[in-house]
Amino acid sequence: MDENSSARLKRRLLRIVYCIGLFLAMLTICLPGLWIVLSSLRPTVEIMAKPPIWIPQDISFDAYVAMFSGIGKGGIPVIEYFRNSLIISVTSTVIAVAIGMAGGYAFARYRFRGKSGVFLGLMLTRTVPGIALSLPLFFLYVRLGIIDTHFGLILAYVALNVPFTIWLIDGFFRQVPKDLAEAAQIDGCTRWQAFWQVEFPLAGPGIASAAIFAFLTCWNEFALASQLTRSVSAKTLPVGLLDYTAEFTIDWRGMCALAVVMIIPALTLTFIVQKHLVGGLTSGAVKG
Amino acid sequence: MKGFKPSAPFLLLLPAIIVLAAVVVVPLILSLYSSFTPFRLTKPETFFVFIGLRNYVSILANADFWWAFGRTVLLLTIALNLEMLLGLGLAMLVEKATRGQRLLRTLMMFPMMFSPILVGFQFKFMFNDNIGLVNNALQSLGLTQDAIPWLIEGHLAFIAISIAEIWSSTAIFAILILAGLLAMPKEPIEAARVDGCTPWQTFRYVTWPFVMPFAYIAMTIRSLDVARAYDIVKIMTDGGPAGRTELLWTLVARTAYSDGRMGMANAMAYFSILLSIAFTVYFFNKLAAARTQIGAEW
Repeated sequence: MDENSSARLKRRLLRIVYCIGLFLAMLTICLPGLWIVLSSLRPTVEIMAKPPIWIPQDISFDAYVAMFSGIGKGGIPVIEYFRNSLIISVTSTVIAVAIGMAGGYAFARYRFRGKSGVFLGLMLTRTVPGIALSLPLFFLYVRLGIIDTHFGLILAYVALNVPFTIWLIDGFFRQVPKDLAEAAQIDGCTRWQAFWQVEFPLAGPGIASAAIFAFLTCWNEFALASQLTRSVSAKTLPVGLLDYTAEFTIDWRGMCALAVVMIIPALTLTFIVQKHLVGGLTSGAVKG
Repeated sequence: MKGFKPSAPFLLLLPAIIVLAAVVVVPLILSLYSSFTPFRLTKPETFFVFIGLRNYVSILANADFWWAFGRTVLLLTIALNLEMLLGLGLAMLVEKATRGQRLLRTLMMFPMMFSPILVGFQFKFMFNDNIGLVNNALQSLGLTQDAIPWLIEGHLAFIAISIAEIWSSTAIFAILILAGLLAMPKEPIEAARVDGCTPWQTFRYVTWPFVMPFAYIAMTIRSLDVARAYDIVKIMTDGGPAGRTELLWTLVARTAYSDGRMGMANAMAYFSILLSIAFTVYFFNKLAAARTQIGAEW
C-alpha cells in the first residue's frame, strides 16, 4: 500500500472513531432526561416489570392527567406548587434584575475605590451555602412571622440572585461602547435619558438573559425552600417533588411526570438565552 | 458627577448592598453569635446562654463531622477535576464537528437545565437496585445476575452521587471552554504547526493557555454554587446508608432540623461557609492570574 492511501485510511478511521465518541458523549448527556420522559408515559406495571420491558408497550398521558386533576387523585397538590413557584420566581426575578441593573451599571461605567474588593465581596455572599444560610433565616423568619410565606422566600431569592445578576449585567454593559452614551449626552440627553434610550436597548437582550437565569435559579432552588416553607401555601415545585419520596413507596411514574413539568419551562427558557449567557459570563470576567 | 464623584456608583450599588446585608450578612452575624450558644429550637431560652467555643471544640472532636468534611472535600476534588477534563474533551469534540454544531451545542447544555434536585431524583431512579436503568441494562446485557445495590452500599453510593454531580455540571465547563475555543484566533495554531509542533505540543502550549481563563470562569461559577451537591445527596441517599454519604451540608441540615441543635449546626455551617469561600477566592485569584497572562486586551 502506498503512503497516500494508507494516510487516507488512517484519516477515515480517525473520523469514524471521532463520530462514535461524539455519539456516545451526546447519548450520555441526553439519555437520563429521555428516560424520565419515557417513564412518565408508561404505566407503573411496566416500570416495575422484571425482567425489564425495553420497548414501551403502552404509552399514555395518564400520569399528567392525574397530576393536574387535583388533590387526592394525583397524590400531591401540584397546581398549588406550580402557582407558588411561578409567583415567587417571577417576583424575585423582577426585583433582582432591577437591583442588578443598577449595580451592574455602576461596575461597568464608573471607577471607584475598592471596586474589585466590592465585587468580590458581593460574589462571596453568593457562596454561602443555601443550607447554612437557611439556619439563621429560619430563626429570623419564625420571629418575624414570615416563615412559610411567599414574601419570605422572595426576599431570600432576591438576595441569592443579586450577585450573579450584577456579574452578568456588568458584562453586558461593558459590551455597549461608552462613546454611544457620551455622544447622546453631547446631543443633549441627560445621563438618565442616555441610559434608557441608548444603553438600555443595546444591552436589552443580555439583561433579558440575566433575568431568565435568575428565574431559573429560583425555579430550581431547593435547599432554602425546603426549610423556609412548610405548607401548600408556599411550597415550591422542587420541594413538592420530595412529597413523592416521603411516603413508604415511591410513585416513580408520578415523580417522572412532575419532573417533566418542572423541566419544560426551564428547557424553553434556557434555549432562548444560551447565546447571551455565555457572552455575558465571559466578557464580564475575561475583559475585567 | 459634580464634585461628589464617588456617590453615583455608591447610590447605584446601595440597593444591592442593603438587600445582601439584610438577607445574608445580618443573619450570618446572628448565626455566628448562636454558634457560641447551646441554642436548641425546642428551648428558646438557651439562645441567651453563652458557652464560648464549646460547640467548636465538640465539633472538632467529633469523628462524624471530620468524615463528612473529608468526604465533602473528596467529592468536590473528584467532581471538579473530572468535570474540567470531561468538559474540555466535550468542548473539543464539539468544536471539531463540521456540521450541526448549533444542534450539538444545544444538546450539550441539556444537563444545565436540570435543577440539582431533579438530577438527584433522576439518578436515584436510574441507580435503583431493583428497577433502575443501570441494573436493568447490566442484567439484560448479561454482565451480571445480581441487583447491584448502588445506593445501598456506601462506596457505590458515593460513586453514584459523584456521577450525578459530574453529569449535571460538566456542561458548564464544556460551554465556557467551547466559547474560549471559538473565540481563539486561528493564526497561532497555524504558526505552531508550521514551526513543527506536534498536535500535543500545539494543544499544550498554544490552545491551553488561551482557553485557561475560560476554564477558570467556569470554575469560579461552579465554586459559587458548590453546595448544590446538597440537593443531589439529600434526595439520592439522604446521607445514608448509615451516614456513609453524609456531606457537610446534609450533616448541618440534620443537626439543625432533625435534632434541633441550632447552635451546634451553626458552628458546623461556618466550616461549610469557609470551605466555599476558600474555593471561590482561590479560583478568583487563578482567574485574575490567567487573565494577565494572556493580556488584558483580549
